[in-house]
Amino acid sequence: MNHAIISCLHANLPAAEAVLNDIDRQGIDTITCLGDLVGYGPQPNEVVELIRNRDIATCQGCWDEDIIDGLNACECSYPSQLAERRGHLAHQWTDDQLTDENKSFLASLPTSLRRDRLLFVHGSPNSQHEYLLPDMDAFAALERVETAGADILFCGHTHQPYIRELRDGSIRVRLQNADHDCDQGEELTLPMRKIVNAGSVGEPRHGSTNATYVIHNDATDEIEIKEVPYDVGRTCQAIVEAGLPKVFAWRLSHGFEFAEQAEDASHVCER
Amino acid sequence: MRSHQGKCGYLRLDGYPSNGLEQVSDSGIDKAFLKDQFPELIDLSDSHHASRSQQGDLLTLIELPQFQSPQQAGLMGMDPRVKNQLEALQLHPDRYLHFGRDPELPNKDTLEFKKLESFSLSLKASVWDPPSLNTLWFELVNGAYGDVYRAKALMNLPDGRSMFFNWIVSQESSQFLPLEEISAPNGRPASLSELVVQGKNLDGLRIQSTIDLCLLNDAVLEMHQMPLRDRQKEAIPST
Repeated sequence: MNHAIISCLHANLPAAEAVLNDIDRQGIDTITCLGDLVGYGPQPNEVVELIRNRDIATCQGCWDEDIIDGLNACECSYPSQLAERRGHLAHQWTDDQLTDENKSFLASLPTSLRRDRLLFVHGSPNSQHEYLLPDMDAFAALERVETAGADILFCGHTHQPYIRELRDGSIRVRLQNADHDCDQGEELTLPMRKIVNAGSVGEPRHGSTNATYVIHNDATDEIEIKEVPYDVGRTCQAIVEAGLPKVFAWRLSHGFEFAEQAEDASHVCER
Repeated sequence: MRSHQGKCGYLRLDGYPSNGLEQVSDSGIDKAFLKDQFPELIDLSDSHHASRSQQGDLLTLIELPQFQSPQQAGLMGMDPRVKNQLEALQLHPDRYLHFGRDPELPNKDTLEFKKLESFSLSLKASVWDPPSLNTLWFELVNGAYGDVYRAKALMNLPDGRSMFFNWIVSQESSQFLPLEEISAPNGRPASLSELVVQGKNLDGLRIQSTIDLCLLNDAVLEMHQMPLRDRQKEAIPST
């Protein structure tokens, strides 16, 4: 049976509606959302209510976490001072707009969802703030999937959709005691694992302005990355009218691949 | 200039205004960059050095802002007023290159400019957060603040380095060149730092407010520089 995975809606109502319409047209009625319903975009309440009203299973994104925890969750994941200051502006604006009811909904979201051997998270199983980039070290990537006990890990957060297959993986542990003659070792050969990034509905950064999402067939394990055009101009106009930084509209209207990344993208806040 | 065996000189002329076209003031970026690359560079705009223009082995780069295409190619197209100015310095140019026409300079300008706008900003003593600078430059040259035809800058980084940034619309990418001279990581540098942007529909206020978000305050600058100073101290063997 086909099910759809959406992520990073970022308060972009026209994009969210276009993607859900596309999913509906295909007769898919199981949808999982990987969070970041709010942040940067101009319609945070509308997007949260759309997800709530449709009763879509959702896990919490980094923006959803920060809007509840008052930016105390993890400020160290900003890749630059500029990104941090813009992020704070957007955070403050979103905080002012969101109703208490919608904040409560975001606070109630789990950090992960599991269906059999499928795991759904926003960033990584470790944190909503960790980026699993497509070129991440293969051992580290395999470790994330394996320790989470999943065959397929669905994530978002990077805004760049991808499917990564980790084949022929093995983890070898060798324990060397003080007595060097007494080595103990174990090697674990792993079946293929997959990391599937759904990209972004509301703020695509994959070289196109189209929203992206993923369809997975749980019988065949076929995975398809879908692109959906939407009325970008409508969202850009709403960003400007809301008084959010104009550069958010500019970035959205170009769909650049360029994205700021922290020096250590897999950094996990230990606070 | 790098392959020239003798001395090198530099002269910047103001050019002559044309009606209805915004004029360009000299930011000093080119001179500062060339002086860094060629410390022995003779600045011929300095009257003390002007007489040295007659040295036989001197290769002089003369820069001149021009606001309209020349009528003719080569030296024949040069404004007679400029010719007179140069003759007073006893300079006789061998070549006359023009953007958009000569193969040595870019000629695929993709934007039509009836009226060029110019925005410049002194960044003296400013120090950038490096990843923020990267983002600002990307946004600037890709049109987030208006159509940019030309952008040039000297920017200071917290580790004491200065970078020359150079962009022209017909080029595929920007040029980023580190300056040879590196300041001590001890507070704010005194070297020239400036941004100049030319284009149309430039939103100077938004450029300025974005830059304000990118510059380091004293406390953050000290956070960057203190470990560098400590490392330098460790590297000096104690006697």
